[in-house]
Amino acid sequence: MLELVPSVVSPIIVALYTPAILVGLIIALIGLSAISVEKNDLQVLILTDIVGIAMLIIVASVGTDLAESLILPGLVVELAEILAISEILMSREIRKTNNPVAIIPTPLDFNLEILQTAPLFIAIILIIYGAFLSGFTGGAVAGGGILFYVISLTVRGVPSTLWEGIAGISGIAWCLWLIGFLVLFVFPQYWLLGLMLAAFGIFIKVAFKVGLIGVMNREEFRKE
Amino acid sequence: MDISILGSQILGIIPLGDIVFYMTSFNLFMFVTALAFTFLIAISKTETQVEAEFGTLGDRQLKVAKNEFKIRRFLAIICGLATAGAMVTGDLFDFTLFVCLIGIVNIGIVGAVKQIDVLDSAFQYGLIAMMASTPLFAGAALILASTGTISILEINSLTFTTPMMLLGSLLLFMGVAGETGVAPFFATKAEMFRTPGSPFLLIIHLSSLLIIVRAIEILLIINKPF
Repeated sequence: MLELVPSVVSPIIVALYTPAILVGLIIALIGLSAISVEKNDLQVLILTDIVGIAMLIIVASVGTDLAESLILPGLVVELAEILAISEILMSREIRKTNNPVAIIPTPLDFNLEILQTAPLFIAIILIIYGAFLSGFTGGAVAGGGILFYVISLTVRGVPSTLWEGIAGISGIAWCLWLIGFLVLFVFPQYWLLGLMLAAFGIFIKVAFKVGLIGVMNREEFRKE
Repeated sequence: MDISILGSQILGIIPLGDIVFYMTSFNLFMFVTALAFTFLIAISKTETQVEAEFGTLGDRQLKVAKNEFKIRRFLAIICGLATAGAMVTGDLFDFTLFVCLIGIVNIGIVGAVKQIDVLDSAFQYGLIAMMASTPLFAGAALILASTGTISILEINSLTFTTPMMLLGSLLLFMGVAGETGVAPFFATKAEMFRTPGSPFLLIIHLSSLLIIVRAIEILLIINKPF
């Protein structure tokens, strides 16, 4: 028999593994029994999420870095599935009633006074600080800066090409991130190059996620 | 190092860091089949369904708009590539992720249709796929916890099996059955095939068939019943 758990791990933590698995299974069973009773489709969809959370508990109870590498994809898969199914539910209901409705009924209105008077160099500071941090966190900080800048400009009206450019750069940066990961796997001796590509690719990509907000925003303007 | 259970030798491995793809004559054949069907689907045009109208002699043509045709072909190609990847992967987590990708893409292929019946069954299938991702990932996590590795080649060289591995395998199989919509869950999926645009729907069938065969191979490797 293989010794799986290293001796530095305290026995209390090792003993927690079986209860954690049981808790996960019980939560899944509670969710499933609720689904079997419920008849409303929307409620069923929401209850299905409970079953998904049970999956996260069971995976997380393993508690190694390999388990962590499964939690993130698991979460993403859950989100993607719930988005896809809710889209199907919406389109089915729209077709049933034959009455097309807007997905987001309230147009965004950013006309606040503070956006016209706030100093724009706050955005520059945020972007520089984000570039210094790099990676996912830096991307979020710099993205906040860009969002601040763009929302301030929205009051005066941003040309649509700016939005499209930002969205395009985001896509290219995403490719950089993928290439960085491929370099790590295929040529491990160039790991520093791969690391830098991945770090700055994800930095630019997360920062320019604001492009998505911009696309949504433009559609809202068109609706008005 | 040979996967001796199914009587096939390892022809070669593709080492990508800790993600190792391996080729045996068994899964290489399925890999090539999946790729060949994906290629056929990529170059094919969609069919036009003709529905007989009840009570009259008239027929009705059901055509797929170009927009819808393009997105459906794209999703079908993704589904084929995910199936091909699941055939050769030597990593249990990769396998579960490929299976999940197939589940999502299957919903997407029929998601844009106009028939309410098909949308209804796609919704039911989506719910089953989402619930099935719980035993799928939980099974993979249990196997990781009881063997300490997720590499199928490493698991193959272990000499013991524990009840925890058996439980994990059972959960994994439940998950695969739900995601691909085979026997106990087939009722939700049958209605989906009434959608017009046939060649792209065939990949749903083919992917579930190949995935089930591959899942059984993986479970045999993990549990070593012979």
